[in-house]
Amino acid sequence: MNADGGAYNRIFMTFRSWSALALVALLPCPAGGQALPSEPISLVGGRVTIGGEASLSLSTNPDEAGWFNYTDYKRNALRMVRLGATADVRLGSRLSVLGELRTEGRALCDRRFVCDLQRLELYALYIRVRPWADRAFDIQAGRIPPVFGAFARRNYSGTDNPLIGYPLAYQYLTSLRSDAVPATADDLLRMRARGWRPSFSIGSTADTPGSPIMTAFRWDTGVQMHWGSEPLEVSGSVTTGTLSEPHVQDNNGGKQIAARVAWHPAVGLVLGVSGAHGPYVAASVTRVLPPDVPRADFSQQAFGFDAEYSRGYWLVRSEGIISEWRLPAVRAPLIRHALRASSISVEGQYKIRPGLFGAGRYDYLGFSNLPGSTETRQWDAPVTRLEAGGGYYVMRNLIAKVTYQHDWRDGGRARSLSVWSGQLQFWF
Amino acid sequence: MRHRLLSLVICSAQAAIVAPPLGVAGAMSTAASSQAQTSGRVASIRGRIEVLRSVSLVESRPSPGDLGMPRPHDQPDRTTSVVYLESAPAAAFEDRPAGRAQMTQRNETFVPHVLAIRAGATVDFPNEDHTYHNVFSLSKTQRFDLGRYAAGQSKPVRFDRPGIVRVFCDIHSHMSAFVLVFSHRFFDTTEPDGRYEIPAVPPGKYTVIAWNDGAVRDSRAVTVPEQGGAIELDFVIR
Repeated sequence: MNADGGAYNRIFMTFRSWSALALVALLPCPAGGQALPSEPISLVGGRVTIGGEASLSLSTNPDEAGWFNYTDYKRNALRMVRLGATADVRLGSRLSVLGELRTEGRALCDRRFVCDLQRLELYALYIRVRPWADRAFDIQAGRIPPVFGAFARRNYSGTDNPLIGYPLAYQYLTSLRSDAVPATADDLLRMRARGWRPSFSIGSTADTPGSPIMTAFRWDTGVQMHWGSEPLEVSGSVTTGTLSEPHVQDNNGGKQIAARVAWHPAVGLVLGVSGAHGPYVAASVTRVLPPDVPRADFSQQAFGFDAEYSRGYWLVRSEGIISEWRLPAVRAPLIRHALRASSISVEGQYKIRPGLFGAGRYDYLGFSNLPGSTETRQWDAPVTRLEAGGGYYVMRNLIAKVTYQHDWRDGGRARSLSVWSGQLQFWF
Repeated sequence: MRHRLLSLVICSAQAAIVAPPLGVAGAMSTAASSQAQTSGRVASIRGRIEVLRSVSLVESRPSPGDLGMPRPHDQPDRTTSVVYLESAPAAAFEDRPAGRAQMTQRNETFVPHVLAIRAGATVDFPNEDHTYHNVFSLSKTQRFDLGRYAAGQSKPVRFDRPGIVRVFCDIHSHMSAFVLVFSHRFFDTTEPDGRYEIPAVPPGKYTVIAWNDGAVRDSRAVTVPEQGGAIELDFVIR
């Protein structure tokens, strides 16, 4: 980068930092509350509805040794500024266009507040069609919400995560990459607990983070169908990426098929099962594989269940995912079998009094054994996370949360993390 | 005898009724009114409120995370208004019959959208939908949270303090309503045609307030003569 470019970036980042700071500073101010909308903005006789979200999360520990909460190399889920706007444009009674623009950035508060918001990104943009007016059947096409699991969609509304951290399955970076693969089992075992920046000898040499089981921070592109309402809902989708690696542009010529069935046997109870299968490894990797390596289905396959029960002041949720990735078997010691990751999370929330709630989540992420040249170990380091805290509604659409999170990991430079976090979140 | 003045103060998108003690002039005025009331000479203040201000539709937050079209919901009647006396005769505060009212949750809408009650009354919140609702309020006048409950169930809330209580559903963000709690009986909610009537008002000088959709929209000074009768008072809210 030349000097002019650096100066420009510094100025621009300062401007963006102060803009974000000014917005966030407005949030807790009662006088400012009069200027901020309390409900979505409705235009053109209700045909256009615009909503928004702003949140600021800060934590006591930068987590730069363990990278437990990073969503990529730069962004920490516990130290983040997020600004987003959603829109629903109704082109008819059975036709809508939905979208979300969002920008995220690091929020650091060491000696002075720093916020380097990234460029605006189009997180969602799709068309929704209901072909028959009298049937609960919808088709959505574009950059669409994932049908698999529950958390990724639920969290998208911005207000349905009672804590600040994310479930491990949706955020924790494993050491797998779709654009680079290990040549041997030893290569992969050397990357245990280095999901924030794994590097392998085949494929891209760029500094890229590993993949989570399923990302809650990006959506895939394709077509999705949804049928039914309570008590039974069925959804299916065909997309360009996979749960771990959603894409706008296809990188391997294959499509992921995903489906979910949700059953509502009683009011307040939802039981769901999900499945997904799609090619994971990028074509740029398979092209450079030695010719004697069998070209198999280098895919990600996942199965999941989710459950939610609520009654009175209680809300309990649980979600489990088993994911398998098949990688090329290049050199000995070979990665002969699919690499499996299993996650389970249990989350509870209780309203203590009007406007005040407590919440907690237990999370575990484990991996299958992989024989190396000297020992057999789990191919990535298993992680356990406990997070507990509470939230207070300053206003109906302004929440202040405080949580304490502890992580344990059987590997890596930092094997545990204790961190307090705070978050302010505003929405309309 | 304890006298109260009922006035509305709009603050930070939520309104609250405050009740400071009366001054000397106010006390004399209400004392005179008390005598008139006991002698049976009263009037009714009635009229019509025409709401001409544009009332936008209540829409759900855009939720790109949904897998299909959201369920359609009814629209609240945001033209319903409440007319009340800013200050009331002293005797009005002594009579406090325990009343009961109802605000139903139907098709993801509170019905009615505006409920005016006496302090001490209990409001039932029945759920007539097939999904959970969670009625709550964070208003300074009364904070409550009824938790999640299913169709066919109802939970009550007793409102003891005068003021405006903004009611929401914790599950459906587009659901909201108002409960106006008065410490006297001199108020009325408009009918669908906009008509209202505040009966049996003792002679005296009053300020009549027209409230609509979260704010005081208009106010008028009215004098009820000693001989009583009917006073016509129309409002146009733009």
